[in-house]
Amino acid sequence: MDRRRDALVGAVVILGVLAGITGSVWLASGWGSDGQPVRAVTADAGQTMPGAAVKFRGVDVGRVDRVRIAPGGEAVVIEMIVRPDLVLPAAPAVLLAPESMFGDWQAEIVSRDDFPGRVFLERPDLEALPGATLPDMSRLTATADEIARNLTVISDRFRIAFTEETAENLRRAIDNISALSDGLAEIVDQQANRFDDLADGVEQSAQDLGAAARAARLSFERIDAIVQNADVEAMVTDAGAAAANVRTVTEDAGVFLEDLHAAVQRADSTFARLDRLMAAAEAGEGSLGRLLTDPAIADGAEGALAEIRTLLADIRENPGRYLRFSVF
Amino acid sequence: MRPTATPHRTATVGRGLFGGLAAVGRGVSGGLAGVGRASRLGVAAGRSLGKVGMWAPQLSPQMARVGVASVPIALFIATFTGIVMSLQASYTLTGTIPLYFVGVLVSKTMILELGPVLTGLTLAGRVGANISAELGTMRVTEQVDALETLAYDPVAYLVAPRVLAGTIMFPVVALLAVTVGIASGWVAALQLLDMSSAEFVKGLRLFFEPWDVWFCVIKSVSFGFVVTSVGCFCGLSTRGGAEGVGRSTTRAVVASSMIILFLDAVWAAVLL
Amino acid sequence: MSIEIRGLRKSFGEKEILRGFDLQAGENEIAAIVGPSGVGKSVLLKHVVGLLRPDAGSVVVDGTTVGESHGSALADLRRRIGYVFQFAALFDSMTVAENVGMGLRRAAGWTPDRIRARAEACLAMVGLEGMGSRRPADLSGGQRKRAGLARAIAFSPKYLLYDEPTTGLDPVTTTSIDRLMLRMRDELGVATLVVTHDMTSAFRVADRITLLHEGRAWFTGVPAEVRSSGDPVVRGFVEGDPGLYYGTGAGEPTAGRPR
Repeated sequence: MDRRRDALVGAVVILGVLAGITGSVWLASGWGSDGQPVRAVTADAGQTMPGAAVKFRGVDVGRVDRVRIAPGGEAVVIEMIVRPDLVLPAAPAVLLAPESMFGDWQAEIVSRDDFPGRVFLERPDLEALPGATLPDMSRLTATADEIARNLTVISDRFRIAFTEETAENLRRAIDNISALSDGLAEIVDQQANRFDDLADGVEQSAQDLGAAARAARLSFERIDAIVQNADVEAMVTDAGAAAANVRTVTEDAGVFLEDLHAAVQRADSTFARLDRLMAAAEAGEGSLGRLLTDPAIADGAEGALAEIRTLLADIRENPGRYLRFSVF
Repeated sequence: MRPTATPHRTATVGRGLFGGLAAVGRGVSGGLAGVGRASRLGVAAGRSLGKVGMWAPQLSPQMARVGVASVPIALFIATFTGIVMSLQASYTLTGTIPLYFVGVLVSKTMILELGPVLTGLTLAGRVGANISAELGTMRVTEQVDALETLAYDPVAYLVAPRVLAGTIMFPVVALLAVTVGIASGWVAALQLLDMSSAEFVKGLRLFFEPWDVWFCVIKSVSFGFVVTSVGCFCGLSTRGGAEGVGRSTTRAVVASSMIILFLDAVWAAVLL
Repeated sequence: MSIEIRGLRKSFGEKEILRGFDLQAGENEIAAIVGPSGVGKSVLLKHVVGLLRPDAGSVVVDGTTVGESHGSALADLRRRIGYVFQFAALFDSMTVAENVGMGLRRAAGWTPDRIRARAEACLAMVGLEGMGSRRPADLSGGQRKRAGLARAIAFSPKYLLYDEPTTGLDPVTTTSIDRLMLRMRDELGVATLVVTHDMTSAFRVADRITLLHEGRAWFTGVPAEVRSSGDPVVRGFVEGDPGLYYGTGAGEPTAGRPR
């Protein structure tokens, strides 16, 4: 009786400990599958952690085994274990990117030939594949925020000064928004199968944005004319139409593109203020002649344009990251 | 020499407030005193671990009672928790969120929270009440005194093996519960959610860290210690017959459940 | 070989139970401590085995001051004292024989066989031959008391303490328990303290009787002296007259009876 009880106690204890240990080892290491090691080097690991998936042409081919800093500290070495029968493509490289929108990252084995524009970190001395890391979500939201702030600065400046140079800068900004929307449409085309649910909406928004931008550009060409010809009435009409357009776009885009939404909203308010400015000019208040030639305005606009370009590039790479959902 | 009752009457106005404050004061000081006495018992039990001959023969029976006998109920609860977790996770994660997040949710919540805490609360009811009622009955029927007169140290003979058994067996039961819970969640995912095994396992592994298991073990070790030592303390401080035993049993279950939830929060704050 | 209690004081919170109690008991002697329920008799007895520690005064057993000994010294002393509890306090998770052998298990030189033989012998001594394999729950009240006694004498103590040994028993069983107490004194030569409120039993077994009243040894004497005492408290208790005992003349205590 006592011995049976002791044996039972022992069995339960061993079973429990065994469950804990084997479970942990199994879950932690993908234990039970062997494979060939692949190594890559990047400047930044992003959120890549041991256990993250390794993909090749969208297929799960292994796991990240270890992430460590390279000797010297100037790079990160990603050690992966992949299927033993995997044949690496020509000019192989590794791209670290979010796998989904929930913080899990993946390492994708790609051919550099498919990414001519992207800069891969190369460290032949480490015997590792060249690698690149896509930007982090938080950095991109920060970028969007920066754009928004720059646009605010610009819109504030509008109250005080409106120079030909400003108009020129603004027109370039509009050009860029137009380019951005074109880019977005292109991306959506490319990624349609991956985000098919969202693609239609985003594409529509992008087209609307493009149309709005074109309308806005037209209206800014009129601004030039105002400065020269004082053809105020037509100008105001156009600017009003442009602002309305952009507002519509904003409403549409807001559903899908929350980050972008903030930026576009700023732009919207810019146009609205422009609208008021035009109205004031038409009424004969204020003076277009009292122009402030403040280089800070141009710098700010230039900075904003640079940011927009970065954002555009990033959206092209990772449209998914600009879509936000509330999970719980 | 008989003390005569001298009724002390306060003004009726403010009496309710005064009484309420007094009750709060009594509750706080009584609670703190209880914590103090319970920790003194814990220290005494730790010290009595040196008297190996006293507790060692009792350890295996207590491990059987505390641990082995609790396995069925713990696994029963874990099984259904796993299934429910799986189904509810799939209900919550709709649309664009990949289905393999069901695996993430099941494994993370089972290992970090539900495994140790549900096991702890269940065993607080089962083990804590059992210990408290047994020791309480021994106390009111003078069996504890009888042990002392037979030159036994009640702390070493009664408390130490129970606390030790709880501290060892709670994590074992919790690990089994976690394993079974995840397994049942897995089966539910395969059978009821049209997920593939590979998807579920991918979710399991995605955010798994070995530290999680240590966290689970640390939590359930502390729960085992608390449930058994509070049970022993409430049992040994029983007064007043069968009613007293009932009272101390209730106290043991309520107090250890509350301490478990409090510790749960503390561990989450300290260790995660 | 003696039990000496000097100036023993004990309070529980505000309640002062013992206020300077004195008593002596020697070899081959049964000292009975009588008094109504709740007067502090059991409290007194628990001081003798060190279950309670005195606030003031001392209990010296076999030359050892109980209140000051700890650990193995206290354990040694307890092995020399057999304590028979009011409701026997048998461990109900064990058989009767295991109960009796409990005190021997941890002592050096006691093999399981020897313990079994000793338990059987002790049970025979109290008239429970062959009952060793029963559970305490299967015994009658009198049998439980006997089993408790068998457990108390298992280690051949030099002192025996009885807490209300005859309470709740029928007169026939009471007599047989009384005889058992006398036999234990005669056969084992132990010094005995009996706490009881049963005067019939006290007169039958005691060599000396002490009335515990108001926390003190109110009156001590041989049974004949107790019978002939003119002290109203003693007479009140012996004759069962509350009016005399509580000194109210009304026959009932008013309020706040100690304990």
